[in-house]
Amino acid sequence: MAIELHPLQQFTIERILPLHVGRLDLSYTNSALLMTIVVLLITALTVFGTRRAALVPGRLQSFAEMSYEFVADMVESNVGPEGMPYFPFIFSLFMFILFANLLGLIPYSFTVTSHIIVTFAMAAVVFIGVTMIGFARHGLHFLRLFVPEGVPKVLLVLLVPIELLSYFIRPFTLSIRLFANMLAGHTMLGIFAGFAAIVGIFAIFPVAVDVLLLALELLVATLQAYVFAILSCLYLNDAIHMH
Amino acid sequence: MIALPEMSEDPPPDPLARLGERLDKARAGRVPVRQPNANPGLQQGLALGFRIGIELVTAVVVSVGLGWAIDRWLGTRPWVMLVMFFLGVAAGMLNVYRAVTRTSGAVGYRRSASEGADAAGAGRAKRKWDDDEDC
Repeated sequence: MAIELHPLQQFTIERILPLHVGRLDLSYTNSALLMTIVVLLITALTVFGTRRAALVPGRLQSFAEMSYEFVADMVESNVGPEGMPYFPFIFSLFMFILFANLLGLIPYSFTVTSHIIVTFAMAAVVFIGVTMIGFARHGLHFLRLFVPEGVPKVLLVLLVPIELLSYFIRPFTLSIRLFANMLAGHTMLGIFAGFAAIVGIFAIFPVAVDVLLLALELLVATLQAYVFAILSCLYLNDAIHMH
Repeated sequence: MIALPEMSEDPPPDPLARLGERLDKARAGRVPVRQPNANPGLQQGLALGFRIGIELVTAVVVSVGLGWAIDRWLGTRPWVMLVMFFLGVAAGMLNVYRAVTRTSGAVGYRRSASEGADAAGAGRAKRKWDDDEDC
């Protein structure tokens, strides 16, 4: 019983279909299950939302179009028309994080983005991809990004390492921000739910707090998807327009 | 509504014919979306707030961790870690400063043309210009 009240228990990974290949553990886990559901839902939204495109959109079509336009707007206003080739990537990223965050809020489900390995994998893809785009478009000239203009040569010894460090920290801030927000929010929800199970008749108070927290978590879930996507756009912008 | 081609013996016209031309025409009619959205204050303010909270902490933690690892590897404890600590603080502050002044997530001191209008941008642009003259 006591273990059920543990606020961190919601983050445990459980094997649903155990599968071991050599020394690798390739089991299908609850985390993988949620990711599958997320991908299926997004695919269903975009496929069925655009199947019978009407001039006056229904709810599903409206939602599909809104999310498309929101991300298209974000890419275009932050990167410009040159960024549109990367729109499919940013759209997938945004929708995946948004759906993973929101589905995680459903009781008894699992929050994929509360595991740093998931968020770091996404941030690393963004970081490596953006760096490759930078080198592909500007060649070795891309390294000028780390040399600030209009600075005495002596100071460069100090400034170039700082610039390098602030560049290489990007994937870490990107991933830790998302992971920490989701982890903290869900832990808090778990703690208050734990109180509710203990205090009997007074459970109304922790449950009320949880209801309020859930509203806050809805905001955080959407906002974090937005922040992740917009920062990817800004990094992409740096790589494309470095002047 | 899609206009259906008329019934005739001729093969139907290729729907992809002159697609590029039509796309170009459609694109020309679009105004570039550079205007901010309906409620930029709240949305962007919240996004910024969530951004910078983590920025400083992560910079310090990651660089100290990196310094510690290099120290272990080279056996120079604690010197690299000390240097990396200060560099990390500087890098974190730099990132926060750039996030707040809307210099994008940019590494490097450049500003985009649209943002260069304010005093700081103008001063920076002037300095850059002076420097070019020196070379």
